Amino acid sequence: MNIDSYAYNNNLKTVHPVEKSLFAMITMVVCLAAPTVITPLIVLVLMTGGIIFKAGIPARVFIRLMLVPFSFLMISVLTVAFSISTTTSGFWLAHTFKGLTIGIHYPDLITAVHLLLRSLGAVSCLYFLALTTPMTEIITVLNRMKVPVIITELMVLIYRFIFVFMETATTINRAQSSRLGYVTMKSSFRSMSCLFSALLGKVFVKSQELYNAMAARCYTGEIRVLTKKHPIRLRNYFIIVGFEIPLIILNLLGR
Amino acid sequence: MSEIIIEAVDLEYSYPDDTKALHKVSLQVEKGEKLAILGSNGAGKSTLFMQFNGIYHPNSGSIKYQGQDISYKSKALIELRKKVGIVFQDPDSQLFSASVWQDISFGPLNLGLSEEEVISRVKKALVDTETTNLQDKPTHLLSYGQKKRVSIAGVLAMEPEVIIFDEPTAGLDPRHSREFMQLLDKLSSEGKTIILSTHDVDLAYSWSDRIAIMYSGEIIAHGDPGELFLQPHLIERADLELPWLIEMHNEFVTKGWVPASTPLPKTKEDLLRNVPIKSDLQSA
Repeated sequence: MNIDSYAYNNNLKTVHPVEKSLFAMITMVVCLAAPTVITPLIVLVLMTGGIIFKAGIPARVFIRLMLVPFSFLMISVLTVAFSISTTTSGFWLAHTFKGLTIGIHYPDLITAVHLLLRSLGAVSCLYFLALTTPMTEIITVLNRMKVPVIITELMVLIYRFIFVFMETATTINRAQSSRLGYVTMKSSFRSMSCLFSALLGKVFVKSQELYNAMAARCYTGEIRVLTKKHPIRLRNYFIIVGFEIPLIILNLLGR
Repeated sequence: MSEIIIEAVDLEYSYPDDTKALHKVSLQVEKGEKLAILGSNGAGKSTLFMQFNGIYHPNSGSIKYQGQDISYKSKALIELRKKVGIVFQDPDSQLFSASVWQDISFGPLNLGLSEEEVISRVKKALVDTETTNLQDKPTHLLSYGQKKRVSIAGVLAMEPEVIIFDEPTAGLDPRHSREFMQLLDKLSSEGKTIILSTHDVDLAYSWSDRIAIMYSGEIIAHGDPGELFLQPHLIERADLELPWLIEMHNEFVTKGWVPASTPLPKTKEDLLRNVPIKSDLQSA
């Protein structure tokens, strides 16, 4: 949940959430639509710079976060790059073994690299948003985009209760560990099942308590809250336009 | 005789699993008074509070607000809840939003106030509970005491006539506990009626105008704090203890430091003032 604490504590937290969302989302679309590897590379550099230098997130944290999708990506990228065939023709780099040839076709390699960079670029855009904008503000943006209230209200409650239940689960886990609940495989399974059933029971109790507490504050079926006003800075819109137009032109030229 | 603002009449209540929670509970609360409900764990304090703003329906008996039986129709309940606010014991079940600011604005917005009015009320509640510096923090990164203060702010911002606090000082450190009591005095001086539940006998004795003692779903006694605590059998029956001020006072009286006619001390200062300076020290 590191990402979450950085979202509340970074140098861009006072920037209007709509501006940050627009920047991240438009850049992501541009990156995904890129026909060449140059745009994703520029996006990756741009977002890395934004996250590390503008938002002030430690480089170490960002690199660790990027490694998470990187491992998944490598698996899929390798399967795209390598092919197996009974003929040796057309391979750029290959090894033949008992009549089977395992190797890389040159166009496949290009596709794989392209895929890798495009994905990393897009992920970096998402991280930019996640690391600079608290969930509560993202929900406000969704509200303003006329996303159905039922979805945004559920997001509000789920987001809040992820932490409540994580805390409960951590406490139960500690209590179990201090009574040697996880020493053997067998006891671990038993303790884990106890933890989940205890948590499930708590979910129902907590949800009833929450409903009562909200009813006590005149809840009538619609969660209405005030959100903090952030200053709208025209300069930021110019920055967004200034970054996106060259990237889009680059995309069009590469076609 | 001042006006009765809220009243429980012969309340009977059992939980759906047939646990008897309240038995023949009758209690009158005067407008503007400071009422403490004392009782050990499971005495039925929280259940009684949920009756006061219509969250639980009594099996029999009734709740009267300003002399009228409350209605359980949804519109009437909203009107009641505008006037009777509850701060729950566990802040984690009261705070529904991850944003402090949003959570506090929830109640006043439900009152149908204008945005400017809501903003000014939220700001006032933040100042009153000393949470202004927490307003941009997410609720899950707050300490227990901080969450507690935010949940209090969420109810204060609705400016109810009657404010009910369920175990308000449990989990607060001494400083915030003291500041909370000062906040209660301030609210009280603004004419609010305050009901709080606690098992802290010292707090109940020093703060309240009147005390009701609950034991296993019944109110076994109510009245002036001084008079109640002079009946040790009552206190023992309710699994409570005597306030230290009264214990000390009694000790001073038995040992002859203080004449028996001295009025009971309400504060530590009262108690110390009652004890005379030793005569040989006086002459020296």
